[in-house]
Amino acid sequence: MKLVPRPAPKAFEVVWVSTLAVLLAFLSSLLLLWLYGTPPLEAARAIAGGVFSDPRGLAEVLRRAVPLILVGAGLALAFRAQFWNIGAEGQLLLGAVAAGGVALFSGIEGPGLLFVMALAAFLAGGLWALFSAFLKARLGVNDVITTLMLNYVAIYLVDWLIHGPWKGKSAFGFAYTDRFPEAASLPLLPGTALAWPGVVLALLLAVLFAWLLFATKLGFEVRVLGENPEAARYAGVRALFTLSWVALLSGGAAGLAGFVEVAGTHHKLLAPLQISLGYGYTGIIVAWLGRNHPLVAVLTGLLVGFVFAAGDVAKVALATPFQLVQVVNGLILFFLIAAEVFLRYRVVWGVRRG
Amino acid sequence: MVESWVVATLARGLAFAVPLLFAALGELVAERAGVINLGVEGMMILGALSAFVVADLSGNPWLGVLAAAGVGAAAAFFHAFFSITLRANQYVSGLALTMVGLGLSGLLGKPFAGRPLAHPLPKWDVPLLKEIPWIGPGVFSGQSALLYLGFLLAFLLWVFLYRTRGGIHLRSVGENPAAADALGVNVYLVRYLAVLFGGAMAGVAGAYLSVAYRPSWTEGMTAGLGWIALAIVIFAAWDPLRAVVTSFLFGAFYHLAYRFQAHLAPEFLKMTPYLFTILFLVLSALGKSVRLGAPEALGRPYVRGER
Amino acid sequence: MRKFWLAAVVVLWALAFGQQEIKAGWIYVGPIGDYGWTHAHDVGRKEAEAAFPWLKTVYVESVPEGQAGSYIDQMVRQGVKVIFATSFGYMDAVQEAAKRYPDVIFAHATGFKRAPNVATYMADFYQVYYLNGLMAGALTKTGKVGYVGAFPIPELKRHINAFTLGVRAVNPKAQVLVRWIYEWYNPAAAKEATEALIAEGADVFAFTEDSPTVVQVAAEKGFPSFSHYSPMLKFAPDYVVSGQLVHWGTIYKDFLAKVYAGLYTPKNLEDVDYWWLLPQGAVELGADFGVPINPKFAGRLKAKQVDHPIFGKISVYDLVMKLHGLMKDVELAFDPFQGPIKDRKGVLRVPEGLRLTKHQLETMEWAVEGVVGPWPNEPK
Repeated sequence: MKLVPRPAPKAFEVVWVSTLAVLLAFLSSLLLLWLYGTPPLEAARAIAGGVFSDPRGLAEVLRRAVPLILVGAGLALAFRAQFWNIGAEGQLLLGAVAAGGVALFSGIEGPGLLFVMALAAFLAGGLWALFSAFLKARLGVNDVITTLMLNYVAIYLVDWLIHGPWKGKSAFGFAYTDRFPEAASLPLLPGTALAWPGVVLALLLAVLFAWLLFATKLGFEVRVLGENPEAARYAGVRALFTLSWVALLSGGAAGLAGFVEVAGTHHKLLAPLQISLGYGYTGIIVAWLGRNHPLVAVLTGLLVGFVFAAGDVAKVALATPFQLVQVVNGLILFFLIAAEVFLRYRVVWGVRRG
Repeated sequence: MVESWVVATLARGLAFAVPLLFAALGELVAERAGVINLGVEGMMILGALSAFVVADLSGNPWLGVLAAAGVGAAAAFFHAFFSITLRANQYVSGLALTMVGLGLSGLLGKPFAGRPLAHPLPKWDVPLLKEIPWIGPGVFSGQSALLYLGFLLAFLLWVFLYRTRGGIHLRSVGENPAAADALGVNVYLVRYLAVLFGGAMAGVAGAYLSVAYRPSWTEGMTAGLGWIALAIVIFAAWDPLRAVVTSFLFGAFYHLAYRFQAHLAPEFLKMTPYLFTILFLVLSALGKSVRLGAPEALGRPYVRGER
Repeated sequence: MRKFWLAAVVVLWALAFGQQEIKAGWIYVGPIGDYGWTHAHDVGRKEAEAAFPWLKTVYVESVPEGQAGSYIDQMVRQGVKVIFATSFGYMDAVQEAAKRYPDVIFAHATGFKRAPNVATYMADFYQVYYLNGLMAGALTKTGKVGYVGAFPIPELKRHINAFTLGVRAVNPKAQVLVRWIYEWYNPAAAKEATEALIAEGADVFAFTEDSPTVVQVAAEKGFPSFSHYSPMLKFAPDYVVSGQLVHWGTIYKDFLAKVYAGLYTPKNLEDVDYWWLLPQGAVELGADFGVPINPKFAGRLKAKQVDHPIFGKISVYDLVMKLHGLMKDVELAFDPFQGPIKDRKGVLRVPEGLRLTKHQLETMEWAVEGVVGPWPNEPK
């Protein structure tokens, strides 16, 4: 077997190969459930029934997808500029911290509070990322490392806040802040647990990033910088300037995801692993599956959101152990990356020559 | 007083460092060959389970360690196939491996939860060396034999990487695979071997947890150590001897966080190694004296005839 | 005997007015393989399922707090009528779901917010901890007993205080050194915290963490310890002295039988709060079920004589057995938090002749004399 690189695939090829991969992944998941004792048809019916049959189930997909889209769209922008931001998890947490700080201590009342929380979350996440971008542009410090290390710093920072200075008086000694005031809650879509402004925010941001990337000078600079840093310098691209914007926007988007999680679901700060269910890391997968295109990241975010929600349904409706759900999620990923191979390479069977 | 602090910090820092060291050394070799594997946590936990099962059934903990190395390598094979042969995205493939490993070990390990292990790995006192004041009781007494094997492995890897042809080949594959290929190095083979070695060592790291450090199996018992090992590779600047020091530092900080708990929020001590890493990177970038970069081709699949 | 009659009445009632089948669901915070908290709840669930032919159960493991509401939705969709939420962190999710599903019965472990269709329940160990403390005080040679705690919350503070009162009752100068690991389950953290305590001179150990780590580490060094939550005698047969064991099944069976009989409805749970201790059989003193004191330690505990204000000169072994009997069979005959008790800053917390109310026990933030180590949220 030999893989021969091929020119960029056409859009329709991308669509049908990806769809096929997704279908195969789902079919093999059903097969795995079958091995575990659940007949595939029954499993498919139960999962479809749980996810699609009522608004609450469907809203779950969106609730899981919103932080993934926010993080994924931002990372798409960052990866285009070859800013290897692995730190979305930390940026998300910083966003949650900033939003929580405003909600708990600013004393602002009324609808303005949510707005200030969102702004603070955006800035906190953005500045957390900006630090790494600055080090990369100015000193050439490896951005993968600094963004990754800052995730741990953010985790311990949240831990310290909820155990220490921000521990709530009404938390009964547990490690939570107090509950945010009512004005700090995002409105829910009636009959669901979905904070609908999060959906609007995610879509707006994805469109904004796509527009920035493909219709503005900044976007042009981002793409040149990402595709050919040497040429970028000759073309007069200001690396520090461009990277700073990219970091601010991608970190800011992750920060907004943190804002949506605390203002829409938790209404308090809690253990970092509870605030974000790994959305910062899964967002990397969303961006990558979305071929670093903010709008495609919306689709892949929805896809991963569906996978998560379907797993949740299987756990209750089919009594699938959560470990099996984990295995299935991993297998789906393997399928998706394998599909990518067929888009980028032509497979030639036979004896390898030369 | 001072002596007891030094001895305890040395002893605990090293005991905690063993799984980090093995996992980091394995990952370091894989990364030196240009393949990053985020599946360390998954391979480690599969190693922990298989070591416990084999040690429990055979009564021989060393067989358990061997089995863990085999299972770790087998798990790594998936990553190698996807990332080297299929040239898939290494980050995603590694994450998927971690998910599969954590889930699979939880499923298969159910019957073994809550059972003590009758014959754990013995502890070694090194004759003569253990008599050295301060260092003896801290380093050479009451530690698992795997600690000394870890030291030995780090030294051998250092010799291999910097003093042998094979090491030059390995590094060239990670720095500039096209050039290595042109010189006749089989890039794919080297990468496969490096990734399999990484998996085997992650397996041994897991084995240490389940047959030596705390001889029993509990679901999720790696509790994030695999991720710390990934950080250590970076902190150690891909150098095996520095990996020994950094693994120990992580262990020592972990121990001291509990000793100082009354006076200092433990979160700050736990944060320290990560902040140090960043500080170190910045300082070395300012000084331009130390090169602390990742292997040039890290994370990029190699395609013959493509540059 | 009283229990038997109650059960008989419940069953008769059920036969007369009963329903066909009840589906109950459990929301777990960890994996059932944790060998601690979630494992014990799952043992209780299985016990209830085995006891009642009319009961069907479902469960979900490792549920993050933000997802609890969505799992409750799905359970209700599956026709679940009784939902047990087994972690404090689910409190808000349970309250919201209870409003959403007024016909579903909820029971929330360790919480304090109730509603017409939300009851709360807890099997508490503080009496057992006191008895373990008596033994620990008799066994320590250095006068330092180590305690590895998960989180500095009132539940653990209450347990450590009761334990320390026991230690000091037989060994007035002894100290209990405390370290927190800030996690419910983390074997590596529990091990290093134990090692840190060993380095500071502790030679007897008790703990709150969901694995047998502390027992194993202590045994390696030859130190006695007390098992926590699940029986851990087999992990160190020569070193586990006793411990605290739980029987969630007693609460689950009682609760579900009353639901089946129609005694509990979604309208009348506002005041249903299980606070079950030794007399109800929800908790047990023991290194293993049925082994209150490891026979290997009987000799040392019998040899240690103390002068007790009630019993006079008595061995620690007999003292434990006597107080155990008192607390188990006669409610209110003896309580560890019997005044006068001062906290470690010298403030009188329980006046002479008084005991603490359940609310005071549930919100305890102070530390008794003899506790050494960090104590977040300690009142001034």
